[in-house]
Amino acid sequence: AAAAAAPESASAGPSGGAGDAPKKAPCVVVIGMAGSGKTSLVQRLNAHLHQQEEPVYVVNLDPAVINLPYDANIDVRDTVNYKEVMKQYKLGPNGGIVTSLNLFATRFDQVLALLEKRAPENRCILIDTPGQIEVFTWSASGAIITETLGATLPTVVVFVIDTPRCTAPVTFMSNMLYACSILYKTRLPFILAFNKTDVVSHDFAVQWMTDEDAYQDALEAETSYSAGLARSMSLVLEEFYANLRCVGVSAYTGDGMDEFFSAVDEAVGEYYSEYLPVIERLRAEKAEKEKEQKAASLHKLQEDIRSGGRVVIDGASSAAAASARATRVSFFDGEDEDDEGSDYEEYE
Amino acid sequence: HNQPSTMRYAQLVMGPAGSGKSTYSRIIQAHCEASSRTAHVINLDPAAEEFEYPVSWDVREVISVEDVGETLNLGPNGGLIYCMEFLLSNLEVLDEVIGDFGDDYLIFDCPGMIELYTHVPVMKTFVNYLQQRDYRVCAVYLLDSQFVDEPSKFFSGVLSATAAMLHLSVPHINVLSKMDLVKRNPAVRRALENYLDPNTTYLLQELNEQTTEKQHRLNEALASLIDDYSLVSFVPLDQTDEESIEIVLQHVDRCLQYGEDEEVKDHDVRCFCALNSEWFLAQLTLRETATVGRAG
Repeated sequence: AAAAAAPESASAGPSGGAGDAPKKAPCVVVIGMAGSGKTSLVQRLNAHLHQQEEPVYVVNLDPAVINLPYDANIDVRDTVNYKEVMKQYKLGPNGGIVTSLNLFATRFDQVLALLEKRAPENRCILIDTPGQIEVFTWSASGAIITETLGATLPTVVVFVIDTPRCTAPVTFMSNMLYACSILYKTRLPFILAFNKTDVVSHDFAVQWMTDEDAYQDALEAETSYSAGLARSMSLVLEEFYANLRCVGVSAYTGDGMDEFFSAVDEAVGEYYSEYLPVIERLRAEKAEKEKEQKAASLHKLQEDIRSGGRVVIDGASSAAAASARATRVSFFDGEDEDDEGSDYEEYE
Repeated sequence: HNQPSTMRYAQLVMGPAGSGKSTYSRIIQAHCEASSRTAHVINLDPAAEEFEYPVSWDVREVISVEDVGETLNLGPNGGLIYCMEFLLSNLEVLDEVIGDFGDDYLIFDCPGMIELYTHVPVMKTFVNYLQQRDYRVCAVYLLDSQFVDEPSKFFSGVLSATAAMLHLSVPHINVLSKMDLVKRNPAVRRALENYLDPNTTYLLQELNEQTTEKQHRLNEALASLIDDYSLVSFVPLDQTDEESIEIVLQHVDRCLQYGEDEEVKDHDVRCFCALNSEWFLAQLTLRETATVGRAG
């Protein structure tokens, strides 16, 4: 735990229990497939906290969203114009979104600094992610964002599920496998939020998750899949369910908000007791190795920029360079609060 | 229906945005051509912009995200789903296209969005359509090897590939793309070797190091799934290495039961999404807004 205290933040030292450390708002990263209702859920969570007169901080990471139904404190669209990125680099909508988020990730050190500053005075930091899930889960920038958040603030991943659309057993399994995939990708405390319970109650899902036979019966009635494979996958999922927190919510009616926030609180407890020690141990182990690699990538990036050259955005070197940028803040942290870089404005 | 002489072959190339679908389509097409197998690449992604390969047919001749975005005021996601559903309700358009290709080998460059495989049964309907026309179909799922640099991310990749393939019920191959970009890093290369021919004992040990104790049982269950079913193994693809391309194609051929020996031709293609960074990085400014109702 001594090594864990590392160079991080001066304002917090949550090794062990969170009791004596200054309270930090949890970062709730909302991930889900297109149409699952991420943005509406963020809107509802935001409204709910406002109603309770609890301060909340909202970050939008979707560069392509047209209408945002809530006021974001930080909005990727203020930093990167996705249409302009598409035009400038002759990219399609997908490439445009991926590139916009990559560009934004190069400024994530500043976002992180702001979030750290705002964390003590808020109940919760909500983070809305791009509509198309893979833009976040399988991109360099998504990995950088979740990793640096998880290393800095108590971070919880919420996977939003479109409940009415996964009442078929195979779709349900797909969703659960994908959720499990995100658990492995992010390695952070995890909450399944079954959204749209105003349309279909999530009772069937709870039943399938707790009663293996009920699920197998449903599956066999619907599909010709080899029973062996389905069973093996079920065994995997059974273990997944065993430690899973799941809540039914309705972004539309506001149902399930209290359950949602108590799940967040539980997950935060788990973050401190189980995830943070692992994160800190891995970071200590990697610190030496990475320092050399980052210095090299950063040097290369600087050289590229100086020579007016082209930077590979869709690749490992950009990921390493951006991650170097994102973590660099921690090396200088605690020196001067006001010196947060010159190229962003803050409106109070 | 079952006569081998009328059997035709198609690959569906899938994977997240940026996983290298377009590049894959191009090098496989070129490789096929070099070994006198007539292959066509068909773009099924209504959001595609530019192609590295000669496009034999493009879905955007019928409908594109750009069109619907402007007229229906849909965002990129809604637009994509709308386009695919539109295509599927007008499949007779494809009859003619596919008819023109005769018995040639088809490579479909598919949209990456996972929702098209799970929530809307678009890709499943498309597979059924091909099968009704005597196509043997193989799904090729690409993952960028740069994002699979540690065991937990490999497991994540296995799960996301499985989630995507679950609905299609066709032979399935996982390909680790862009190996040429990681092969110079010996540590990454060594790690990747453990995934290609999964050494689950090693993976499990590494994974348990990286995860909380509560998750160890899940790790074990997943490791035994990988042990029991070869469907979750990966074939590496280094596009600068003809032998590597050949091996990938052989795997697909085996899945499709396509029985021909191919010749090898040198072909070096590299593709990056390149940025002239200086101008753009200068444009990036961050803004924080105080929202109504915040204390203080």
